[in-house]
Amino acid sequence: MKKYITLILLSVLALSCSEDLDQTPISEQGSNNFYRNTADFESAVTGIYSTLQSYPVYQFYLSETRSDNLYAVSPTGVRAYDPINAFDRSLATNTIIADNWNTDFTGIFRANTVLDQLTSEVVPDAATLDRLKGEAKFLRAFFYFDLVRTYGKVPVFNRVYTPTETLEVPRAPVAEVYDLILADLIEATTLLPDSYGSDSLGKVTSWAAKAILGQVYLTRSGPTYGIEGPGLDSDEYNLALEQFNDIIENGPFGFADDYARIFDYNNEHNEEIVFNIEYLSGGVGVGAEYPSVPVPDGYLRVNSVGFSNGETAKQVSADLINTYEEEDIRADLDILQGYTDQNGNFNPVPFYTKYLNLDRAGQDRFDWGLNYPLIRYTDIITMKAEAILMGGTGTQAEVDAAVNAIRDRAGLTPIAGVDLTTLLQEKRLEFAGESRRWYDLVRTGTVVNTINSWIEIEDVQNRMQTMDENQILFPVPSSQITVKENLYDQNPGYN
Amino acid sequence: MDTEILNQRPISKVDQAMVGQMAGVRVKQTSGVPGKSFSVQVRGTGSISAGNQPLYVIDGFPLEPATQNGSGDFGSGNPLDNINPGDIESIQVLKDAAAASIYGSRASNGVVLIKTKSGKLGKPKLSFNTYYGINQTVKKLDVLNAEEWIDRASEIIDSRWVSSGTGRTADQTSAERQAILGGFDTNFIKDDRWFQEGHPGLDYIDWQDEFFRTGEVKSYQLSARGGNEFVNYFISGEHLNQDGIARGVNYKRYSARANIEITANEKLKFGINIAPSYSVTQDPGVEGKDNLMHYVVSATPISENGLDYNIGDNAPYAWGRSVPSPIRTIENTIGENKIFRTLTTLFGEYEISEGLRIKSSLNLDNTEAKNKYFKPSFVDRNRQASGSFSSYQKQNFVNENTVNYDLNFNDTHTLSLLGGASYSIFKYDNQRILAAEGFGSDDITTINAANNISASGTYTLETKKVLISYFGRAQYGYQDKYLVTASIRRDGSSNFGRDTKWGVFPSASLGWNIDKEKFISNVEFISNMKLRASWGLAGNNTFSDDYASISRIGFSNYSYNGNFATGQVPINSANPNLSWEESETINFGTDIGLFKGRIFTSFDYYVKTNKDLLLSVPVPTASGFSSAVTNIGKVENRGWELELTTRNLQGGEFTWTTNFNLSHNTNEVKQLGPDNSPILGGSFDIEHNILQVGQPLYSLYVVQQDGILSAQDIANGAALYGNQTEGDPKYVDANGDGVISPADRVLSGHPNPDYVYGMTNTFTYKGFDLTVLLQGQSGGKIYSTFGRAIDRTGQGYQDNHLGFIRDRWRSPEDPGNGIEGKAYSTFGRIKNTDWLYSSDYWRIRNITLGYDLGSVIKTNIFSGLRIYVTAENWFGDDNYYGGFNPEAVNSNGDDYGAFPLSKSIVTGLNFTF
Repeated sequence: MKKYITLILLSVLALSCSEDLDQTPISEQGSNNFYRNTADFESAVTGIYSTLQSYPVYQFYLSETRSDNLYAVSPTGVRAYDPINAFDRSLATNTIIADNWNTDFTGIFRANTVLDQLTSEVVPDAATLDRLKGEAKFLRAFFYFDLVRTYGKVPVFNRVYTPTETLEVPRAPVAEVYDLILADLIEATTLLPDSYGSDSLGKVTSWAAKAILGQVYLTRSGPTYGIEGPGLDSDEYNLALEQFNDIIENGPFGFADDYARIFDYNNEHNEEIVFNIEYLSGGVGVGAEYPSVPVPDGYLRVNSVGFSNGETAKQVSADLINTYEEEDIRADLDILQGYTDQNGNFNPVPFYTKYLNLDRAGQDRFDWGLNYPLIRYTDIITMKAEAILMGGTGTQAEVDAAVNAIRDRAGLTPIAGVDLTTLLQEKRLEFAGESRRWYDLVRTGTVVNTINSWIEIEDVQNRMQTMDENQILFPVPSSQITVKENLYDQNPGYN
Repeated sequence: MDTEILNQRPISKVDQAMVGQMAGVRVKQTSGVPGKSFSVQVRGTGSISAGNQPLYVIDGFPLEPATQNGSGDFGSGNPLDNINPGDIESIQVLKDAAAASIYGSRASNGVVLIKTKSGKLGKPKLSFNTYYGINQTVKKLDVLNAEEWIDRASEIIDSRWVSSGTGRTADQTSAERQAILGGFDTNFIKDDRWFQEGHPGLDYIDWQDEFFRTGEVKSYQLSARGGNEFVNYFISGEHLNQDGIARGVNYKRYSARANIEITANEKLKFGINIAPSYSVTQDPGVEGKDNLMHYVVSATPISENGLDYNIGDNAPYAWGRSVPSPIRTIENTIGENKIFRTLTTLFGEYEISEGLRIKSSLNLDNTEAKNKYFKPSFVDRNRQASGSFSSYQKQNFVNENTVNYDLNFNDTHTLSLLGGASYSIFKYDNQRILAAEGFGSDDITTINAANNISASGTYTLETKKVLISYFGRAQYGYQDKYLVTASIRRDGSSNFGRDTKWGVFPSASLGWNIDKEKFISNVEFISNMKLRASWGLAGNNTFSDDYASISRIGFSNYSYNGNFATGQVPINSANPNLSWEESETINFGTDIGLFKGRIFTSFDYYVKTNKDLLLSVPVPTASGFSSAVTNIGKVENRGWELELTTRNLQGGEFTWTTNFNLSHNTNEVKQLGPDNSPILGGSFDIEHNILQVGQPLYSLYVVQQDGILSAQDIANGAALYGNQTEGDPKYVDANGDGVISPADRVLSGHPNPDYVYGMTNTFTYKGFDLTVLLQGQSGGKIYSTFGRAIDRTGQGYQDNHLGFIRDRWRSPEDPGNGIEGKAYSTFGRIKNTDWLYSSDYWRIRNITLGYDLGSVIKTNIFSGLRIYVTAENWFGDDNYYGGFNPEAVNSNGDDYGAFPLSKSIVTGLNFTF
């Protein structure tokens, strides 16, 4: 009998190996083994960059679609971009607006994680440490800049906050958000290198930091419209010009002669590119979606692309199409006036094909391989022209030169005495489909009038509402408002 | 529950046998696809983010609970997969925490105890059961026919044309419109053939008629049981072949079982139960939105190529959907899911001394599943073949050791003590290979022919979890009058934080057999009377993330200059203090038998409170995460259950027995996250359900429709959604701010039915037996997210639409039924009462008429022969027009396009030798 009792006890004891309860993930890594060396931080910083991948699509919907470049009314009015295009006031539940908010904050969280963990003990090489820090700071500023332009006031986090802590942090005034953005960018200009070797091309340089810094100054200098938006009426045009002139005079960039080659799949990192978002095709999950977003599904099918993108054509506005001069080579490069479908019928709805190269279709609609130019040299010279026209130090000749360079490349004759209206129109054509137009209008104080008078003519289907100052910003996503009552206030003008 | 009926009628799955049988046990057949598991809810749902399925215990082997995904599916298998119902001796559902105490750590959703057949002393008894039948769909959805579709399409095209510019009128011909447009846009131009005699070149098609078919079901089961003083055995073999009611859907199962128990001597017993099984499901992907049945329902009812719509070289109809013929797709797509599973239990029992026994068991549930998918290029929208191969392996090992001591003192005091420990390990691996860029040939369906592999869609993943438990139970009885049971168990789960893995789950129960008392024993008409009370705690550790307590790094990659670059980022908001979700149940019950057992009734009242929920609390996404799992929140389920058995007629040639059960359950959210902020849920567009303190779980939360907007309404400043115009639906401005917005959503019912009932009537007359099972529910709501495919405002004319749109508003003079707005609307959509339906239904699940031929044919070839015929699901009614099956509602109240149930006629034979 004792023998059996011993047996029982043994079996019970055998069971009490409770270390077995300490299971660790097999297919993922625990974070306590991470952030221990330079390689870990290289990966962690790459993880921040990867947050940029959806940026062009969000910009297309929140900026290009919002502008007078697109009359993007879908046939049935049910697409997520329809109410954005139409200046609908109940946008707080819109998925694109929520996704963009979430993505920006994901990027900020990843940057804060790196900045919190980064020390000279784990990354002993000083130059590497500086660069990693500079990259994280730049990207944090970049995402905050997008937030402030899109939503105005947002909560500011200069370190990782736990979910519980974030429940106590309300939206900060726009000026405070800018304080962080400026501090980060200024520091990044000194921390970041001027260039990279070919295996790291595409990482952010000090020049990119200067370019965004100039853009931030330019944006802050815009009018306030009486809202808590991106403009602070700060009159920092000369600070902006300082950055742009530095890039023009000392940077390794140049003005491309051939407009089409700027967006050529075989000519990435060309002289125009100050900063871009990198994509790689081949089914490894780092490809781009944006090239076929404006394009209808049927167009891909008639061209034997092996996948659907599920999209309808985002109609380019008649107003934009009518703005092109006849000789302008960019019209045909950027816009297709319609296509003949599988049934042999010509569908006369114009859409952007600027970034599309059907021969370079990847494995699926998320797998295009073309880098997205975020800042090109043409941005720098036109922002410089804008800063001068808005009151910064410079000459009319400089302004005219910038515009005529663009016109010349587009096959157009030069003009003189370029004013703000002309500059905006030239930029509109140069950057069609590149999601610049909306911000240009906002910065220069022209957005409300321009958009409303455009709607009156363009909106033959009576699908749009007019806008007022409040629609310069988007609402805070309702999913964030409902997390905790009274944590975030809603932007005026939205319900 | 007595399962003798399992062989009396054709039952293809164990969960099917439980439908309508037990009070408080809601067995939902969420899908009519053969082989798919049912969803079982014991006493409502109390968990929000954690699992809500019961713990299944087969012959003492607790099987790892499965979690149901958002579409109501068990993607990673279900504990009842492949189990042959013919092998089942009994099914018992333990509902209250005390009854389930011995399984307490995972009993918060109830425990289903399944016992398989064992050997019986005597010479071998063979039985052969077979059945054959045919089945059809219970329901077709009412959608527009071709003429009605044309009527709607014309109205939309004309309206759109008129509103697309000045000088455009509905009476302009196609040629005139084409000239104005400078192109041929089918958004603005109609097909002239619609209005020509005999619509030349156009085929009118009812796609559902082509999709549904009459299927066959066949089953063969052979078993033998017997035994002598040393060995008892039960062995069986089975084959089931069940066609779905739609083309391309089939389920086949092959299973065997051997249950052998050896009595070595008076003290020592040991044995083995082993049940290998294999099943093959063919399903090209019929169920759910954006799947083939959705394409069938919403297909344009007009084709220029008959059923060969948009396949191969055929272009789609210019006014039709771009989806290729769903029928040809089904016929040519391979969706094959094979499950090979072996359940093994090895046990030994030794009696150390009188009343003192030890028992040990080793259990292994090993499942290997493989799924092959291949769609050839000619039925693909983009004429590119696609394919994948995925598989999973589940290994669930449990070792359980117990000591049992029974004492009987003078027949006055009985005492039973149990102590034990168990160790459980669950390993789940899954893999996938996803083909990319098409296949080299449509004839080779394996991935070696794929042109490329999608690196991001190809993976292997592994998880492992461990559960260690210690438990004890004492049962004391006094003169069989008073029964007291107390138990306690302590469980450690690897799912939880380093210092919070262990949970303690006590329970206690009291029973009083009043009929044993002198004062009542001479009351003639009372044959049984018992009062019961119990209290207990049970646990739940089923959560979608097995490592939620550990902060983890995942991949988020990028590239530099065409060089792939690995990115690593934090992927979860870890909670190092995560611990058990608990449910506390208080139960009062009584069992009363009257008139010598002619009437037997049982009544229970319970309050079940789930607390310290494993709740994914929404947090500001500014934190980097959208939710943080926390032990917080409280949900209460409360209800009563009545079971009544009456032997209405007995003793004569004609007998009639009625089993009736009725249960009532309501639930209420008592507490949520730190600030009790409501949690909104429901995918697509805006959320449509809400968790809110004081309200039932997943209360539906939508805007209310109130008729149709008239010109007068608009002139009077009626609240509008976007650019609504006359003839669009009128919504209720609940918050009175003058516009319709998501802020006008209001509470609109709950998915949990108030009442669930079942009734079985059994009649016998001489050799005949007749059984009728009625089952139903009432008081719940269902939200048809499938409506997004077939019933949405602003729906394009290409898609077919639910039939009630034919009574739409056409003009102020022709306002239709006052519910359906005009065909052409561009205001978009807002979640509203359109897709909200009652989930009430009643259904005669089963009518079986049997005849015992054995009593007529005297032969020594067999000892018994029964022949029967069964009709399943032939009668019933529901108010659900937005989908096929009101039971398809998942826990969030949605139906995402579930497959209809089948009705069948089956005949069968039961031989015994």
